[in-house]
Amino acid sequence: MNSDLRVLIAKMVHKSREGHIPSSFSIVDIIDFLYSSILRYDLKDINSKNRDYFILSKGHGCAALYVVLHKYGFLSDHDLEHYSLSTGILGGHPDMTIVPGVEASTGSLGHGFPTALGVALGLKIQAMNNRVIALLGDGECHEGTIWEAANIANNLRLGNLCAIVDWNGSASQLMPRDNLGEKWKAFGWNVWTIDGHSGDEIKNAFHKFDFEIDGTPNVILAKNIKGKGVSFLEGHGQWHHKIPSNDELEKIIEELKE
Amino acid sequence: MKNLRQEFADTMIEIGLEDTRLVVMVGDISHGILKGFAQNCSGRYFNIGICEPTIVNMAAGIRKTGLIPVVHTIAPFIVERAYEQIKLDFGYQRLSGNFITVGGAFDYAQLGCSHHCYADISLMCHIENSQVMMPGSAEEFRTLFRQAYSEEKINYFKLTENPHGIELKNEIVVGRGVKIIEGGDITLVAAGPQLRNAIFAAEKLKKDGWSAEVLYYHTLKPFDGELLVDSVEKTRNMITIEELSSHDGLFNLCLRYLNGKVDFNSSQIAIDGFVHGYGTYQELCEKVGLTPDNIYQKALRMLK
Repeated sequence: MNSDLRVLIAKMVHKSREGHIPSSFSIVDIIDFLYSSILRYDLKDINSKNRDYFILSKGHGCAALYVVLHKYGFLSDHDLEHYSLSTGILGGHPDMTIVPGVEASTGSLGHGFPTALGVALGLKIQAMNNRVIALLGDGECHEGTIWEAANIANNLRLGNLCAIVDWNGSASQLMPRDNLGEKWKAFGWNVWTIDGHSGDEIKNAFHKFDFEIDGTPNVILAKNIKGKGVSFLEGHGQWHHKIPSNDELEKIIEELKE
Repeated sequence: MKNLRQEFADTMIEIGLEDTRLVVMVGDISHGILKGFAQNCSGRYFNIGICEPTIVNMAAGIRKTGLIPVVHTIAPFIVERAYEQIKLDFGYQRLSGNFITVGGAFDYAQLGCSHHCYADISLMCHIENSQVMMPGSAEEFRTLFRQAYSEEKINYFKLTENPHGIELKNEIVVGRGVKIIEGGDITLVAAGPQLRNAIFAAEKLKKDGWSAEVLYYHTLKPFDGELLVDSVEKTRNMITIEELSSHDGLFNLCLRYLNGKVDFNSSQIAIDGFVHGYGTYQELCEKVGLTPDNIYQKALRMLK
């Protein structure tokens, strides 16, 4: 579990009075791992034709993406300091037209994943071996386009596409029959279920498949905890879009440093 | 007279062979006539199925990899059902692509209002960086598509099943209106297939001694306002003839360009709401007043 990135997220949100802290804490470990160990990119040529694509379909978790892009050199200190301000480029949902390293402008749920499917198809048409990874929310899986895309990806044999579902239990609050594994299997995907906060489990999941350009697509169901790392943020209560007070920020940082 | 949908299929082959970036995606229609493209441009034709929002998303993704998507299905299913995908994934993300529809406004006259689409032109005009075209002949489609398809624009082509049958003598250029008949008493402005009715009405008016100027628009965005202003400054009378929503179509476009420039009388023949019932395209045109006689009567009232 990466505490430093979580502290950065909390500070950003506190300063700008905008952001989804628990959703970002839920996915930050996975995104960090992707940029450290999986995705191929070139900071000198961010839009290189050879890059791998990462699309954050659950755009409201973008504070996690921003701190990771900052850690790996895509974004500057100034960018993070001006998060959600008119003087900066980073907002409460990511805008690909102004943020280096952001591949899709997401926010309205159910768009990023089918767009990633299109990227995977475009690459396959051109026989390019770039990999495409989309991270989506379990609540987002209520959107019909997720299942349209899942169905198509299997039929077009887009093994160069990997979906990661942030399975933190948001969906089951509304629809308790939360059998995501069976659903993805029924749509023909290889399914890998892991603890999304365990570096070893994330790593092992990516060792289990290659991104075959003509193969079965893979989905990693990451059993995450919304708000992971801070006791009073964890779960599905009031903190979804709540901004911490000064005292609460101090407590968040305290718990994360323990 | 060549059918526009067949011209679409033929043009895809022609350009697809020249430009290997062209990818055609359909929502389970026109697959018969697109067999030629599928065979000639192997690996770049996809009948994705009946899932229009996802097709539009996919097209945006395909564009991100450098290819040029063409999305084709029935007008309401792309423009109205998948509008958010067009707005966000193409408009907001500043991606370019091509959308080619059939069925609007009520070309599927026997299938009922679920298959009608009156507001597509208006909706597509709202999208930043769009070019919006409703060609009235096969030649117009072929020419406009060739000019526009690889531009960094969101191109919308609404294909009619009822071409106007008029051979344009002027050059066909995206964004340029066409003066079909020169006149001095009233300006009849038509878009797409309604050019035919406008010309018939002008001929009727001529028999009564009135001289109608007929302007034709195959492109609604960008709109050739100069041609319109020049004409209405002269005639001071205008009627728009459009198989589009009366709430935001050709008439509103014209008003925007004329406002503050000319004092003039105006009237609109358009679609005011669901055109319930069934029948032929011609019968539904009659139902909403898109006939030469109605244009003629409205013009007479204005002129007298």
